[in-house]
Amino acid sequence: MRTALRIAALVAILAALIVAPQYLRNYGIYLLSLWSLFAIAAMGLNLTLGYAGQMSLAQAAFLGIGAYAVALLVKAGVPFWVGVPLATLVAFAVGLLLGFPALRVQHHYLAFATLGFNVLVYLAIRNEDWLTGGSMGIGQVMGFAGMPRPSIFGYSLRRGIDFYYLCLAMLCLSTLLVWLLLRSPWGRAFAALRDNPVRAESLAIDIRAYTLLAFAIGAGLAGFAGAFYAPLVQLFDPSPFGLLESLSLLLMVVVGGSGRFWGPHIGAALVLLLPHWLQALLPAWLGPPDQWYLFVFGIAVLVLLTWCPGGLLAIPDRLRARAQ
Amino acid sequence: MAKTTRREALGILGGAAAVGLARPAIAQQPQTVKFVNVVELSGAGVTSGTNWRDGIELAVRELNAAGGILGRRIEVQHLDTASNPGQARALVTRAIDQDPYILFGPVFSGSVMVSMAVAQEARMPQFTGGEATAITAQGNPYIFRTSFSQVQAMPKVAAYLKDQVRAQSVSIIWVNNDFGKGGRDAIMAELQRRGVRVAIDVSTEQNQVDFSSAVLRAKNANADALFVYLNEDESARILREIRRQGYDKPIIGETVLPSQQVIELAGDAANGIRGHVGLTVNAPIPAIQDFSRRFQAAFNRISDHNGIKGFFAVHVVNAVTKRLGRFDRQAFAEAMKNIRITTADAPGVLMDVSYDDKGNLDRDSFLVEVRNGRQEVVAVLPPIGRS
Repeated sequence: MRTALRIAALVAILAALIVAPQYLRNYGIYLLSLWSLFAIAAMGLNLTLGYAGQMSLAQAAFLGIGAYAVALLVKAGVPFWVGVPLATLVAFAVGLLLGFPALRVQHHYLAFATLGFNVLVYLAIRNEDWLTGGSMGIGQVMGFAGMPRPSIFGYSLRRGIDFYYLCLAMLCLSTLLVWLLLRSPWGRAFAALRDNPVRAESLAIDIRAYTLLAFAIGAGLAGFAGAFYAPLVQLFDPSPFGLLESLSLLLMVVVGGSGRFWGPHIGAALVLLLPHWLQALLPAWLGPPDQWYLFVFGIAVLVLLTWCPGGLLAIPDRLRARAQ
Repeated sequence: MAKTTRREALGILGGAAAVGLARPAIAQQPQTVKFVNVVELSGAGVTSGTNWRDGIELAVRELNAAGGILGRRIEVQHLDTASNPGQARALVTRAIDQDPYILFGPVFSGSVMVSMAVAQEARMPQFTGGEATAITAQGNPYIFRTSFSQVQAMPKVAAYLKDQVRAQSVSIIWVNNDFGKGGRDAIMAELQRRGVRVAIDVSTEQNQVDFSSAVLRAKNANADALFVYLNEDESARILREIRRQGYDKPIIGETVLPSQQVIELAGDAANGIRGHVGLTVNAPIPAIQDFSRRFQAAFNRISDHNGIKGFFAVHVVNAVTKRLGRFDRQAFAEAMKNIRITTADAPGVLMDVSYDDKGNLDRDSFLVEVRNGRQEVVAVLPPIGRS
């Protein structure tokens, strides 16, 4: 019964997401597309942080690696649909390379190591402007139109609504793959090494290999999201891939509920959509200044995480605990 | 997780999506004309963006008090990019959904570069405060500047360094973002063209706080002058560091360094700096000085060049729309090509101005020096077309 209800709820949500663009303008459709892609990247971080217990502050760098890799591959004449798996593979491989040395340390030491990596990637993208266009954006090397949107079976996805459905399909695919992964022996090993690494090792789980794998898969998912982020925004510069964006992705995971399967989806919705919604709503209620939305958003996050550190998905558990 | 948890979670997602995105269409009232201003009201660009917004606000209030444009009252909405190009792009999309007559902003060139294609696709005229050369080099017929581009301004600065300062070598300190990189490339090319040696080329970061190393390197390079090209807050910080280290060579800037905002932030450390500015409230032009008084009365502070840019942009829209006699975006964009607007026809533009067919403008500019905490104009330079 419980499973049937879950499936019914999922189908209803999916149906709402499919129907929603019919009632939205370009801005709403664009934000929903962004949400789909950031939810994928946040799922990757949730795998690394929530399931494998490794604090990473480099998720935006992997998003950027995916975005720039696919853009440069397309510029070099590689078809988009070949570029996507290649860009994902590049992010996965860089995740592995970073993981080898970085995962020798844990917790906040790992956070600082990955933070350094994010800064390094940002500086490389910004300073190597002959390759990336630097701070003037990818349009400097790809032309003013930037990264073109792809076609699928001859059908152009140039319109925002068509590209949204592609983003949504990619989110569904990623969600399914992560769900399968978490139910595989690998997923159980990830959770085991998060909850009790000593016991996991005593059960012959290769902690180093599984930690590295969780980190690299998380990076690969961000790279996969980045490969679709590039044609969504078409013109981009290094700023969406800086440290602040990594913190924003971390916030998505924490606010949604770290280690909870639907946490990244909820967290991405809240962190991406709430500031836009507040910016639209608050000036009418509160008047100037125009920056009220930042204050209210900051307070909302502060209150949520103080009252319920487990994130939004932990609220029902907390309410139940109080009732008892 | 219990099933109620999941149901609630999914409900929150659906609710957030529905409430956050499904805003009703904003109907255009027949007696109003809508402007949307997408600009930096928080983050690194807050100083520029706030002045730009207030310049627009002042122009809109005064025009509305005088009956609006062609009898229509102006409605203006300000949206905050948080100095983030990604957010700027999303907000330009939102602005276009609201079907305004004209789009204003952003000021940061990087935000302009990633968002202007969205406005171009919607055939929406856009007035930007960005100064990067690339903005009007893309063939976008709907983008219009409110200030000089860097390739227009830097020849004047380089000529000043060579002919007035008589510098044979120059140190350059610049901010490594879209604005600083464009300016650095432009001044380097102009200095080299005039045979002035660049002694040292120091890159700094946006939001950088400590400039001791950058200043020390410039000091040790021992060039005849120092050219500083940073954003407002960083300019004030570096000026304080320059004075702390006792650097005594001429310090030259372009637009931002000698601006009023930097002078207020840097205090006495700003005294003695010189530079070229496209717009200044201290210009020996009665209309600009009168604007400055009204701005100060309205917002209780002195406007910088971005305030003048915002004010000017609204008055260009007013002047061109009146010439057209109707609200027609396509006709507006076409009318802007090679247009000349004089203060006799439109006093709100403050100085006679000409636009080329790419959206670049041309008008008088000023050489200034900061003395006793005030920017003083030492020379008026003619428009490039007449120099």
